Amino acid sequence: MSAMANHAGIDLRAVVDQGRPLSYGDPAHQAASQFLVNEAHLLDGRKFTSWLNLLAPDIEYRIPIRVTAVGSSRTDDILDMEHYAENFYSLRKRVERLGTEHAWAEDPPSRTRRFITNIRTFAAPEDGDVVVESYILLYRSRGDQLSTAVLAGVRTDLLRDVTTEECRLARRLVILDDSVLNTQNLAVFF
Amino acid sequence: MSIAFSDDLAQKVRDGWIPAHIYNDAEVFDTERRRIFGRSWQFLAHASEIPQPGDYVVRRILDDSFVVARGEDGAIRVLFNMCLHRGMQLCRSEMGNASHFRCPYHGWTYKNDGRLVGVPFHAEAYGGDRGLQREEHQMLPAPAVEVFNGLVFASLNPDVEPLLDYLGGAADYLSYYLAPSPGGRQVLGPQRWRAGWNWKIAAENFCGDSYHTPHTHASMLEIDLTPQIRGGQRKAGGTYQAGRGFGATFGIGDGSLETKLAAIGYPEHAVANRARHWPESIKSLIVDNGHLPSSMTLFPNLSFLHLWVTIDDEGTAVPMTTMRLWQPVSESETEVFSWFVVDADATDEFKDLSHRAYLMTFGSSGMFEQDDMENWLSLTRTAKGTMARSLVLNSRMGLLHNNDSLREPLASYKGPGRVMQGFTEHNQRDWLNLWLDCMQADDPATPTTRSEA
Repeated sequence: MSAMANHAGIDLRAVVDQGRPLSYGDPAHQAASQFLVNEAHLLDGRKFTSWLNLLAPDIEYRIPIRVTAVGSSRTDDILDMEHYAENFYSLRKRVERLGTEHAWAEDPPSRTRRFITNIRTFAAPEDGDVVVESYILLYRSRGDQLSTAVLAGVRTDLLRDVTTEECRLARRLVILDDSVLNTQNLAVFF
Repeated sequence: MSIAFSDDLAQKVRDGWIPAHIYNDAEVFDTERRRIFGRSWQFLAHASEIPQPGDYVVRRILDDSFVVARGEDGAIRVLFNMCLHRGMQLCRSEMGNASHFRCPYHGWTYKNDGRLVGVPFHAEAYGGDRGLQREEHQMLPAPAVEVFNGLVFASLNPDVEPLLDYLGGAADYLSYYLAPSPGGRQVLGPQRWRAGWNWKIAAENFCGDSYHTPHTHASMLEIDLTPQIRGGQRKAGGTYQAGRGFGATFGIGDGSLETKLAAIGYPEHAVANRARHWPESIKSLIVDNGHLPSSMTLFPNLSFLHLWVTIDDEGTAVPMTTMRLWQPVSESETEVFSWFVVDADATDEFKDLSHRAYLMTFGSSGMFEQDDMENWLSLTRTAKGTMARSLVLNSRMGLLHNNDSLREPLASYKGPGRVMQGFTEHNQRDWLNLWLDCMQADDPATPTTRSEA
């Protein structure tokens, strides 16, 4: 069982594992790279409503937990549990909440810096779509305290109509590198 | 070292005046290590996490690592995760499936029931059985282990009372959270994260702090995610205490059990199961008293929560349950293990929706939990300094100046323990009294189990 159980769709990791990356000069690769950097700019600038505009209405946004597992029946180290398993409604609610005066987890607001690197782009089954793999390093500083959070992971995204103005994020799978998160909460988006 | 509470100070604590430094004090934690965590029953795992023979998870009681393993015989064992030879940690993963555990250091090998079965160069190095009889050695078992409603508990204290005596009336409430159907519950997770706050703050919060809900979690009301947290409805609820369990309730008004559970999103078969399987005391609390349990802490550091969440723009309500262990790392750091709990025999569709309801509200990214963590972090930081040593906190809600109770317990409540109407800190005080009883008692006996035959 998983929060994504009812949603058919392409296997993003399979596209990345089996596909051949588009060349650096490919317009789709360049458009995807620019999209991700612009998206990070919006999130770091706390322009969350503008960020929502980049999301497809049927978005699936998922950050599974990691575990360290061994043994024949437990070869997969990602369990059916997530830190996030969101659709557009729940992402919009999270953004609405950050807009209230009572979102203490982000009061004072975090200073965040999202470093997006190692971008590889793959042709997706649907024309005009691409699957994009990127590394993210999220630096989060709060108030005048030294409890800074640094979280690293790899994201695999599905971008629709990537070379057009209508480019939207339709799927995101974030694999974080920590099994135990060294931070008080995940009040931030990856 | 042990912290000593004078009789004067102890009386103050019992009256609701709490020395602020206990929320960030190395000496207090050092005493808690032996007298709270070395004495009580500690939750390690849920049986549904290790359903198959050979499944195991690795969990801790403070610094002691245990393998919680299901043997080929189906029995669950709790084994100290240390090789008998040179002390290497045997299982270094968080979970797995194995018939044997092999030490990475010299290769001593144990069956998953703990028996030593393999010693490399047994003849050459030990002279075979003349020097080392394998069958006389087994991984050190936890001094006490018991299972209730799928919850696997262990204790470092060989003299710990039987689990059912320890739980007392809390057993009924554990059945409310964990035994609503013949198929029982399954848990998913845990999400794990750690941050700089003291474990007691969380334990006390889940004991019955309905007073914080309308303020800390105001944003949840503002975005219409959980309409039931409105101050009025929190006030209509109250708190319960039964045995070593302490919790809060929502006021849920009049109506049959069936009507009430359907209104918060339980499908028909889940409602019918609950009507059949919940203890009578719980059904009476819900139907006759209009109180639906919303949270509980089982002393000392295992908590539960049940609420319902609006999961779409059409206003669909879906209930969810979570269970969490507040595992102290130090006086100023706690690791949270948070599980999503659902009926094992629920439909995949319901599991999926309830899972989403959980993630939106609790756990590492949950919109409720985020704000709690923020508060607890600040509280712990502020409790560290010199000034906090001369401040006693006011935890006297529900008491008048002369120490009389503002309100009497609900006379019409028929279950074990006590139910109070409205906002009060009776539960936090009583939880802290239990804590104080443990802290003032002598250290528990050292476990006597040894690996030698």
